[in-house]
Amino acid sequence: MSRLELLTPEGLRVDGRRPNELRKIIAKTSVLAQADGSAYIEQGNTKVLAAVYGPQEVRHRMQILHDRAIINVEFNVAPFSTSERKKRSKNDKYDNGIKLQTSQFPRSQIDIYLQVLQHDGGTLQACINAATMALIDAGIPMIDYVCASTAGCIDKQPVLDLNYLEESSDSPELTVAILPRTGKVNLMSMESRLHVDMLESVASLATEGCEQIHTILDAVVRDTTQHLKDSLMQ
Amino acid sequence: MNADPVAPSFSFEIFERIKPDEYFRRFIEENVRPDGRSLHAFRPTSIRQGAISTANGSAMVRIGGTTVICGIKAEVAEPRIDRPKDGYLVPNVELAPICSANFRPGPPSEQAQINAETINHVVETCQILDLSELCIEEGKAVWTLYADIVCINYDGNILDASLLALICALKDLSLPKATVLPSSIVQADSSEKTRPLQLRRLPVSSTFCVFSNPKVTLSDPNDSEESLSKKIVSIILDTEGTILYVHKSGGSVCDPEMMKDCFTKARARASMLKELIERVIV
Repeated sequence: MSRLELLTPEGLRVDGRRPNELRKIIAKTSVLAQADGSAYIEQGNTKVLAAVYGPQEVRHRMQILHDRAIINVEFNVAPFSTSERKKRSKNDKYDNGIKLQTSQFPRSQIDIYLQVLQHDGGTLQACINAATMALIDAGIPMIDYVCASTAGCIDKQPVLDLNYLEESSDSPELTVAILPRTGKVNLMSMESRLHVDMLESVASLATEGCEQIHTILDAVVRDTTQHLKDSLMQ
Repeated sequence: MNADPVAPSFSFEIFERIKPDEYFRRFIEENVRPDGRSLHAFRPTSIRQGAISTANGSAMVRIGGTTVICGIKAEVAEPRIDRPKDGYLVPNVELAPICSANFRPGPPSEQAQINAETINHVVETCQILDLSELCIEEGKAVWTLYADIVCINYDGNILDASLLALICALKDLSLPKATVLPSSIVQADSSEKTRPLQLRRLPVSSTFCVFSNPKVTLSDPNDSEESLSKKIVSIILDTEGTILYVHKSGGSVCDPEMMKDCFTKARARASMLKELIERVIV
């Protein structure tokens, strides 16, 4: 039984990328009319839609916080999004690690809804990036972007941005989310085995990936705002 | 009853919030709707096939602001004993909170269930698909098509959009060639595809919203119009003009002329959509 070669001797991966290359990213904001803020992100074949509603009145009175806003995240995976159909339970809770100035909106609620349309590895990081863009689009003040990226390790070589095939092999997957301006780590998550010696290189590769993603997302936001400004000036 | 003269700049938005009925009525009196359409105009419709590559067949449909994506996944199942050659088509409609602030997370809402059931009913009783095309081996294995219709932006008239998305996704579907091995394992070869499914008929839905005061019927209601009147008439025709399904919600009366008028408009809409589908679907 032949094993799929995830990393060829020349250093190419299954989809032709180099180990430190990100997948192609397409990001758009203001894609949904009903939501206060929305964003659509494609990282390779992973497609995620994010919608933000808020700040608005808290739905359950018992949960009101007198000095801050509540953030509610709902994560929904479409049944057709993976290669085998999975009817996921609607309320999969993922710690999203978003940094908001919630003290600006006491006694209110901010809802973040994520819809995964197509799943090809790196769902958590795509969701975090999409949620960040949607929050910016909604005009909710934030300390900084939260940019996330995954990295793993194939044959002792750290690789950036794993796709589904690489994730399902025995490569560990480390997800890192940082605040790019300060470089501080917001979220670090891994659910597989990784040798502690490799941790340093894998983590720094993931952080580099985050910086690259930040550049791309920031360019999209500035571009959209420029368009908005131009159309208002006319 | 006249409203007092108010300062011009932001008055109409506040008026819309406080008195939506009156706001709406003033537009209808001028024979136009708040979004600028004429009373019987449907919103611009667009179809895009193959939006989701992980699904066996998919389509994204936009009617005005309402956007739905239908993804079809095929799985193998055992056929029913009394129908050994027939596969299954299972439609499901998801109205998640992402599409509108009116929907809450949790089990499918009544509206989603009603829509799913209507679509299911049309598919079954009108036999739009010959289920024996889904047969892998008679009596042993058949394809089950799970059609999941996810709404990503809700602006009224979910039924029309869902049905159209389902039809286009079915036309986009390509199943892998499958054989049943002697060990009863089904082997599917995804590099070889069977020919696309033949649909016997293409059902097309037209929805109308009935108001009693003012006395008017609007085609293709958007979200604000739907919230003003719960009285909906849905007519599903196939592209040849045969009536497949009619539903007028109870609790209000309307003239027979108005119903006839709806049928005429539904026919026009069906032929327009027939052209659109033929243009878009390769």
